[in-house]
Amino acid sequence: MSGAGSGERTLELLIGPQHPASGHMRLVAEVDGDVVVRLRPDIGYVHRTVEKIAETKTYLQTIPLIERPPLADTANHNLGYVMAVERLLGVEAPPRAQWLRTLLAEMNRIHSHLYGLGIHGIMLGSSTAFMWAFGDREIMIEMAKRLTGARITYSYMIPGGVRRDLPPGFAEEMEKALRYLERRLPDYDRIFFSNPVTRARLEGVGVLTREDAIRLGVVGPNLRASGVAYDVRRARPYAAYPELDFQVVTRSEGDSMARMLVRVGEIRESIRMIRQILARMPDGPILAERYAKMIPPKWRDYVRETGRIKFPAILASLRPPKGAEAVSRVEAARGEAVFYLVSDGGPRPYRMRMVTPSLRNVVLFSHLTRGCRVADIPAIYGSLDYFPPEADR
Amino acid sequence: MGALGWILGLLLSPWVFVPLIYPGLVSAFAVLLFIIWFERKLAAKVQRRFGPYYVLRHLGGATQLVADLIRYLFAEPIIPEEADALAFVMGPALLFGLTLLPVVAIPVSGTFYAIRSDVSLLIVLALLTLGAAMTLIIGWAGNNKFSLIGGLREGFLSMAYEIPLFVAALSMAAAYGTLDLVDMVEVQAETAWGVALNPLAAFVFLVISFLATSRFPFEISEAESELVMGPFTEYSGIMYGLTMGASYLKYYVLCLLFSIMFLGGWEPVPPQLAAVPFGPGVVVFAKALALMALGVFLRAVYPRYRVDQAIRLAWHYLLPLSVASVFVSMGAAWLGLTGA
Amino acid sequence: MGGVEEVGGRGGRNPVVSLWGHLKAVGTGLKYLIAVPRMTVKYPDEVIELPDGYRGMLIYHQDLCISCGLCATICPANAIKMYLPSGGGGGEGGGEKPETPPKRHPGIDYARCIFCGFCVDICPTGALEHSKVHDAAYERVEDMLYRPEEFAAGPPTVEFERPPKRLRPVMDERRGISYEPVG
Ligand code: SF4
Ligand code: SF4
Repeated sequence: MSGAGSGERTLELLIGPQHPASGHMRLVAEVDGDVVVRLRPDIGYVHRTVEKIAETKTYLQTIPLIERPPLADTANHNLGYVMAVERLLGVEAPPRAQWLRTLLAEMNRIHSHLYGLGIHGIMLGSSTAFMWAFGDREIMIEMAKRLTGARITYSYMIPGGVRRDLPPGFAEEMEKALRYLERRLPDYDRIFFSNPVTRARLEGVGVLTREDAIRLGVVGPNLRASGVAYDVRRARPYAAYPELDFQVVTRSEGDSMARMLVRVGEIRESIRMIRQILARMPDGPILAERYAKMIPPKWRDYVRETGRIKFPAILASLRPPKGAEAVSRVEAARGEAVFYLVSDGGPRPYRMRMVTPSLRNVVLFSHLTRGCRVADIPAIYGSLDYFPPEADR
Repeated sequence: MGALGWILGLLLSPWVFVPLIYPGLVSAFAVLLFIIWFERKLAAKVQRRFGPYYVLRHLGGATQLVADLIRYLFAEPIIPEEADALAFVMGPALLFGLTLLPVVAIPVSGTFYAIRSDVSLLIVLALLTLGAAMTLIIGWAGNNKFSLIGGLREGFLSMAYEIPLFVAALSMAAAYGTLDLVDMVEVQAETAWGVALNPLAAFVFLVISFLATSRFPFEISEAESELVMGPFTEYSGIMYGLTMGASYLKYYVLCLLFSIMFLGGWEPVPPQLAAVPFGPGVVVFAKALALMALGVFLRAVYPRYRVDQAIRLAWHYLLPLSVASVFVSMGAAWLGLTGA
Repeated sequence: MGGVEEVGGRGGRNPVVSLWGHLKAVGTGLKYLIAVPRMTVKYPDEVIELPDGYRGMLIYHQDLCISCGLCATICPANAIKMYLPSGGGGGEGGGEKPETPPKRHPGIDYARCIFCGFCVDICPTGALEHSKVHDAAYERVEDMLYRPEEFAAGPPTVEFERPPKRLRPVMDERRGISYEPVG
């Protein structure tokens, strides 16, 4: 019952994996009264050997696989992986494809942040924040459904470009959706973010100092909430980000409230970016010439009319040069995601490494919960937007 | 006919009617079935959903709770091997029963009551405290760490809220110059409602009734995301149903008390109801139900406080405020506002 | 690199700010209780129309199929496999080189399919297409396997107890998504 050396004072609490707020993991908490002495995240419950399975799939087939672990935030990981594959192959997506990728990535960021905020809400007991966020994420799901044909697992970005062009009327509908979200955010603020109870639960809870954030290698909104303005979109711009005007949202407090508010700020920035993307998207092809010219001639008209790509047969067996290596980094919704690929010249990756933001943030569980209250565990957990499958892969 | 008349007479006699029908068991059950459904409907509307819907669609799923009750009745009640079986089984029944007990001292009207006592307010308050002890026992009996913590939380909270609750209630006794609930209503009828005489006491009493019955933002001892279901984690079937109902029941009793102490009780009695002996009770019932609706609505507004925050709130704010409310009452009495 | 500090009021423990916060929260709750319309639809009495291009269950036109096997090759979930005309073995994925006639044809296992649509996009003849069916239910997992003949018969039809109202989602500045009745 008690940890070594701590006598009989402490109680070991196993939170999860069968617990309403543990997610797919277990938190082993050692509590002294209501105070957490130590908390150890026990991860790996949803490990699905993504990296190993990738070695048995062709480069294209790995795309849906990559999308599964970071659910909600599928597009950003799709983008990261595809960027690495393109570097292996030496192809580049045409500009319009880059902008479309950025569009979906930012839509997905809004979706993922709402998802995280909703989970955080229910962890604090606000069923309204949960229901609202989960309801409003449907807006971005609906728009993505029109763009990609799927609700969440889009598999939209492929080596060399994207699979579909904007459907007719997309920009107008999106503008309405964005205005709606902008109208809604103040209501979220009144009922949840600025609710005195929420503030009492989050302000000053789980404070991550700037130094610790850097030392522990934290990424994403959790890092920026500790005052470090690091964002891959700004530090190593990719896709259409170099041409977009956006701000890296940071806060200095480093507490759970700051982490939540950074996400809210990022939703606003994503809304701005989507507006810019839809206003300034360049015309042109959406698939690299190298592959576009291999589309069977009888489909060319179809592709032009519908804006939907027909795959050339080569996509089924892409073979990057032997020994090629590539790394890519993207700012996924939960933080920096890194992909590393090695080719042995065959149609399947020799090695695929996927480092997800949740994997890098898991260290925070034991760091931030030392000395907190039992009730702070879900408050901090939620503020990290930690997603066990994403970390376990 | 004679036998029927005799049974009817028995049923309508206050000492049977009060505990059994109103405000006792039958009405309490009706309140439970209604208010939990209503809570879900309110929360659903705020959350832009429909809530219960498919059980009796044309009435907005009004019978959802009946369906739930039937399900609870037929679900297997599981007694964990390591649990203290006797305490585990008796706990919910006792909790439910004890929580309902205070209604015996609550008058239905100026002439219809089971117990008329000079100190009926004290009786109600004293009986109200019994439930919390049962929650502690339940939390311990399940032999589950979450239950234990939940039970302890309930214990800490009850320590913190009982005193300001008593002080706030007694401040009204000071204002009305009586501890008899019937007299309290009569004083209010002559002067003004308690909520106007001493809004501070009303506020403290209201907040504590949320705190004492696990209403949001004080849904702390059950706190799903922390303690699964707090003291009631190990329960299933109808035993769980009873434990869940108990907090609503306590809230019901507190709302009845609030209506009598602060909202003028059965006054004003509509003339149509004056003829029936327990008719005025309908007015109290309606007031209590409206109050309950307010409390359950808060579920849609608030997250939950941490236990230490709620305890601090009780000791640092509610206790001083309740003491202040005594002075407000004294002031009101001194100014002659209460007619006492 | 330039970061911006998000500004947002933090009242700390100021009781006035706190009281104002409580009032705003309760007021917002009341506003939604009274004035804001719901966002859910009553599935299965109301069914949302799927947009064009939705990646639903597949339609297989056997007459167009040239048995090239690309669909089975690309399928990331191994849901599509090439089968010999009834009775024959099959189930050998790939089928890149059907040695001798009779030709193999694709069959699909919906227990595996993830609706990525790769097979549709790579089919050189347009023999594969997406339908807008996506809410089928099966009683047995074996029923989810469609051999070529069954595959060619089209996706299952979804039966509703009461004929549902069809709704089309349209973005709306005030309501988010508003659902307009179709047809
Ligand atoms: S949609 Fe994807 S998973 Fe389904 S059969 Fe086609 S390729 Fe396979
Ligand atoms: S369905 Fe299309 S891809 Fe599959 S074997 Fe037939 S022609 Fe080839």
